[in-house]
Amino acid sequence: MRPLDPRLLTHARAARGYIVLTAALGAATAGLVVVQALLLARIIAGVAMDGERLADVRTPLVAVGVLILARALVAWAQDRFGHRAATTVVAQLRGRLAGHIGELGPAALEGDRGPALATLTTRGLDALDGYLVRYLPQLLLSATVTPAVLVVVWWQDTIAGIIVLVTLPLVPFFMILVGWATQTAANRRLRTMQRLGAQVLDLVAGLPTLRALGRDAGQGRRVREVGDSYRRATMRTLRAAFLSALVLESLTTLSVAVVAVSIGLRLVYGQLDLYTGLAALILAPEVYLPLRMLGLHYHASVDGLAAATEAFAVLEQTPPEAGARPAPDLRTTTIRLEEVGIVHAGRDRATPVGLDLEVRPGEIVALAGQSGIGKSSGVLALLGLRHPDHGRVVLLPSSGTGGDEAAVDLREIDPTSWFAQVAWSPQRPLLVPGTLEENVRLVTRPDDLDLAEAARLTGLDTVVAELPDGWQTRIGHDGHGLSAGQRQRLALARAFLHRAPLVVLDEPTAHLDAATEQIVHASIGRLRDEGRSVVLVAHRPSLVALADRVVAVQDGPAPPSAHDGPWPDGTPPPGDDGSAPVGAGTGTVTR
Amino acid sequence: MRTLLRLLPARLHRDPLVRAVVALDPDPRRTILAILAGTAALGSAVGLMATSGWLISRAAQQPPVLFLQGAVVATRAFGISRGVLRYLERLVSHDVALRGVAALRERLYRRLAAADQATVAGLRRGDLLARVGADVDTLADILVRSVLPFAIAFTTAIGSAVLVGVFIPGAGLVVGAGLLLSAFIAPWLAGVAARRAERGAARARSETSAEMLALLDGVAELKVAGAVPARLARLHRLDDALTARLDHAARPSALAVALSTVLTGACMLTALVLGAQLVSDGQLRPVWLAVVTLVPLAAAEAVAGLPAAATGLVRARAAAERVLELLEAPPAAGEAPRGPGASGPAAGTPTAPALLRPRLVAEGLDCGWPGQEPVLTGVSLDLSAGRRVAVVGGSGTGKTTLLLTLAGLLPPAGGRVRLGPDPSGDADGAGAEPRELAGLDPAVIRRTVSFTAEDAHVFTTTVRENVRVALPGAGDEQVLAVLARAGLADWARTLPDGLDTMLGSGGTGLSGGERRRLLLARAFLVGAGMLLLDEPGEHLDPDTADALIRDILGAGRPDPGAPAVLLVTHRLAPLDAADEVLVVEAGTVVARGTHAWLLDRHAPYRDAWEAEQGVALAGR
Repeated sequence: MRPLDPRLLTHARAARGYIVLTAALGAATAGLVVVQALLLARIIAGVAMDGERLADVRTPLVAVGVLILARALVAWAQDRFGHRAATTVVAQLRGRLAGHIGELGPAALEGDRGPALATLTTRGLDALDGYLVRYLPQLLLSATVTPAVLVVVWWQDTIAGIIVLVTLPLVPFFMILVGWATQTAANRRLRTMQRLGAQVLDLVAGLPTLRALGRDAGQGRRVREVGDSYRRATMRTLRAAFLSALVLESLTTLSVAVVAVSIGLRLVYGQLDLYTGLAALILAPEVYLPLRMLGLHYHASVDGLAAATEAFAVLEQTPPEAGARPAPDLRTTTIRLEEVGIVHAGRDRATPVGLDLEVRPGEIVALAGQSGIGKSSGVLALLGLRHPDHGRVVLLPSSGTGGDEAAVDLREIDPTSWFAQVAWSPQRPLLVPGTLEENVRLVTRPDDLDLAEAARLTGLDTVVAELPDGWQTRIGHDGHGLSAGQRQRLALARAFLHRAPLVVLDEPTAHLDAATEQIVHASIGRLRDEGRSVVLVAHRPSLVALADRVVAVQDGPAPPSAHDGPWPDGTPPPGDDGSAPVGAGTGTVTR
Repeated sequence: MRTLLRLLPARLHRDPLVRAVVALDPDPRRTILAILAGTAALGSAVGLMATSGWLISRAAQQPPVLFLQGAVVATRAFGISRGVLRYLERLVSHDVALRGVAALRERLYRRLAAADQATVAGLRRGDLLARVGADVDTLADILVRSVLPFAIAFTTAIGSAVLVGVFIPGAGLVVGAGLLLSAFIAPWLAGVAARRAERGAARARSETSAEMLALLDGVAELKVAGAVPARLARLHRLDDALTARLDHAARPSALAVALSTVLTGACMLTALVLGAQLVSDGQLRPVWLAVVTLVPLAAAEAVAGLPAAATGLVRARAAAERVLELLEAPPAAGEAPRGPGASGPAAGTPTAPALLRPRLVAEGLDCGWPGQEPVLTGVSLDLSAGRRVAVVGGSGTGKTTLLLTLAGLLPPAGGRVRLGPDPSGDADGAGAEPRELAGLDPAVIRRTVSFTAEDAHVFTTTVRENVRVALPGAGDEQVLAVLARAGLADWARTLPDGLDTMLGSGGTGLSGGERRRLLLARAFLVGAGMLLLDEPGEHLDPDTADALIRDILGAGRPDPGAPAVLLVTHRLAPLDAADEVLVVEAGTVVARGTHAWLLDRHAPYRDAWEAEQGVALAGR
């Protein structure tokens, strides 16, 4: 992990200006520190040695006062712009991440990356605050103040300069040496520590279980014992971990003492004057100060850098190349899934496997099958949100099945023109923070249905009528809670609002009462009457009955590789253990 | 620490932060040692500059070298002592904090063990666990990073002021006042900034987070709807508002830093001016001028870190309040019998005898969490020896609450639950009347009625201990026997370290089915005559869930001593093995009968079953 990752400058523009400003403030600090030290030395030496009176040193005293104010101003600016840069950088990174996730689509969240991304993009990035406000300035100060002050010390007193120059590299050298010597033991102890720490919380987390077993009494002592072991393990780790801080502090302080004694002894023999000696003494600690502060704020930086690295890892994922061909008119296009198989990250079974599906203009097709079999994944492939790992999704313009040469793979289609013709109500519809109206009308399209009409078609109208603020009721985060059934109607209204040629509804009548179910059934029938294609994921027999065709989805082991070719129609894939459900094969039943 | 507390004004005693730090019960001797070591470490830095200043000023007068020996030795000593003392301070303060953590966690655990079921059930939701985990760590952290630094800064400031005051009393007063002012005002301003950022920006922050989470959650739907750009624009707007708020909040923080610089600088300048005046007037020997100037310059370090310490205090306040809420909550009253010392001399002792062939009878039972409306009413149930009953129904219909009530973990909201020996049993308690759960020794209930929650905990320990938690004295052959009964015989044979294999986080992973079966083995080991199981098939794929539920319903059969089983499930297919199925809907039992009867007569049950069989339909 580098202390200053150049990717930060690429992805967060605010960081660039901040680094330039901090470097400038660092240079100003260096100048102020040096001038103040020289003036103090001049005043003390003048009064103590040369018999000057207060009036004689008035000018330098006033200058020191001005310098103090200037240093306060620099400190103010550093903190002010540090915090401003931190919040801006966090916002810029969040914006970048959001935009990139928008491009990556659901692939960005596949596996178990969703929760980690949610943490990163909400509170996780805030860790950059400690890095940008505290650590980074010291990093730049150690690149400006430390060398500048060293040069002045050298210029004032060569021997003191040599002492500082020799001890300076010893600081990182010994810190690395100590770190290296204690590393193995530290890692081992750290594991013990983490295990014991987890054990205490494990006992607490298991309290309901212990109570159900009648074993909750008498575990208090065990909590204390494990807690004490944890303390002993932690202290063993800390004794080693604090050694590097001990080295840092000892070396820097001892160096100043050595400089002071060396100056004192040379003064006795008249090889030096008091002014030079004092100047070197006051400046010597300033050389080491940024290094000590770096050590102090190191831990604050670690979390921030880790969060940044995590963000860069997401930003460096390249989204699948979007197709460029404009989508054909779906009112006259057949969509066909050919032997589509999807293998989810970390799973060895494909869900679905070998899915064949054809959606012709103006027909209702239902996908049926056990839960978890891959119906929703099949829908994702059909929508072009998830490219299948096996098989392909093709578009056959001009309705007929005749010309396979006219077939276009969905991957080659421009997503915008494709999505513009698709309406989709997923199984778990999204509630966005905002009003009910904003939730139904996520975007405004010129030829959208009337809001009230969409509500009437889905039974949402009765929900609106019951809500105190009607369409303006705030829902989603800290707003009005909606029941599962109300939520379902909202999602359906959202899909019905869009006069798309292809409508995909994932279990549209789940959570609905019988009356609303009838309304929705009628509305789905109306879609077909208007010549639009409907794909249903269906459990309920009554919903399945609406379909012109029903396609059974099945799962199976992941095929060995894509180029093995499709299996013979209707037979289970090789290696299937025979546990295929009733209706094995991609049986299509036409009613 | 309580003694030290008396130094604080009475108003502060009620402050949650103060009370929470006191709850850590820091050892007074170690605390004082840490403060002394920290003060001495900072004092070394001050002393180093003071002695070097004197050494150089005196050396400039070119006295015999011998006269400087003392100062040379002192300078070197201070150069060495600083790092060593700081190391000591760090170790002692962390030791104090960690001792406090261990003690506080134990107290919290005992508190929770005595709390009501609603509190304990909350543990699984993570919030309470965070209080015992992260919040207690936060308290330890502020003890080390905020409380002790303030104490050390205070003593160092006083010490430095006294040192300057020895030479120039007026300058001593100014230095003391300046440093203390800086030690209060700058941290106060930083605290204001932190509070503003926390509260003033809270709304903007949560709005931004909600928008971001909505985008993550619904990215697929938003893409299809073409709504991603609109949401991104909204996120930018919200983030701009948040940035403006945070920027406003941070203002006092910069002021704090600037003020600290001005105040400490002013201290030094005052000492220099007064010193120069006195030297000119011949009232102060010239060698001391460097000392009175360099001491405040070095002492500034003592107060420099305090604004950050104050920020830590503000951020820890919420943690302190949460821990106190748990720690000072009144103990549960009027609860169902439970754990430690609830009733009877034998309470909690694992040797309490269990009923061999128990019978559990519920009459007109209403179930609900204390203080809330009952979620399920009018349940009547007779669970006699060997019977197998299943409860099915939609989510949120109170099925889990029913199990908790039957297990005696929740008091009945109405009606009654009685437990006694089964009269049809041939031996022991023929004729003995069943008694209400509230009147029974909880230890007897636990050993008679075994309840396994859907999310029951697998501890981070060995397979053996994970099973034996049900019966501490059990031997390996007993553990292996119950594992085999739960269908884990093959699994147990393939374990890398046998029964010593570690489970839980960092240990061997369990599949969902193995986990459920391990919990089942635990329930078997209790040797209870009655098993209450909540959703044993949850989160399992349908085939695995069905196999498991069939195994549970068939457990121990055809042995006449097989336990009675009551299970809550959402899988209907395997219920042909149950004696009776209760269908729960809208707060009450709407139908009951055998699986076959319900399929035939209860349409919703048949619909649900058909939906479950989904794929079969398509092949029809």
